[in-house]
Amino acid sequence: MRKLLAFAFCACFAVHAFAAGDAASGKQKSQACAACHGSDGNSPTGPDFPRLAGQHYDYLLKALRDYKSGARKNPIMGGQVSGLTAQDMADLAAYFASQPGSLHVIR
Amino acid sequence: MTNTIMRTPLVLLLSCLCLPALAEGNPEAAKGKISNCIGCHGIPMYHTAFPEVYSVPKIAGQSPDYIVKALQAYRAGDRSHPTMRAIARGLSDQDMADIAAYYGGSGKSDK
Repeated sequence: MRKLLAFAFCACFAVHAFAAGDAASGKQKSQACAACHGSDGNSPTGPDFPRLAGQHYDYLLKALRDYKSGARKNPIMGGQVSGLTAQDMADLAAYFASQPGSLHVIR
Repeated sequence: MTNTIMRTPLVLLLSCLCLPALAEGNPEAAKGKISNCIGCHGIPMYHTAFPEVYSVPKIAGQSPDYIVKALQAYRAGDRSHPTMRAIARGLSDQDMADIAAYYGGSGKSDK
């Protein structure tokens, strides 16, 4: 029983470590994103491309995962995420979430 | 052949004019339409509860055209969140344009 608890305890950390993104690595992987979202994620090059800078990390990560799974459909993003690993997506989400931008909350 | 080449710019010009006119958004008109948005998007650090837990995205300061595109995608079923699908199904094109103008036109200095 004690072993099982210890395993469960460690497993929690393992899951957490796997999901955590690294913003510095994300920046290095973000060149393809910059073409549409701007290099800082806050200056999209088309009117209907979203700003990413300062968006919540877990929302950005979910968006990327949904494009990958097909739960969210977009021809451009569907193609972009096809080559990304889970770690790439976490890193990219961490990078854009860490950037200063104009996104905020109002009532 | 020459005719085809000469006609191409004309066809392109005409097809631009035929594009569906996008509804012009009015941020003032949105004020009566955002009651369903405020409950989640108006609370800093708010989280979804169903079907997955994650942070509700910040939408103030977002590109207005993107907000419209997102709402249209929920209405069409191209995005999966059940609450957003239900809300978007009740919105007209004009409602979406107004809401996008309200949130998209919101400067950072608002809050």
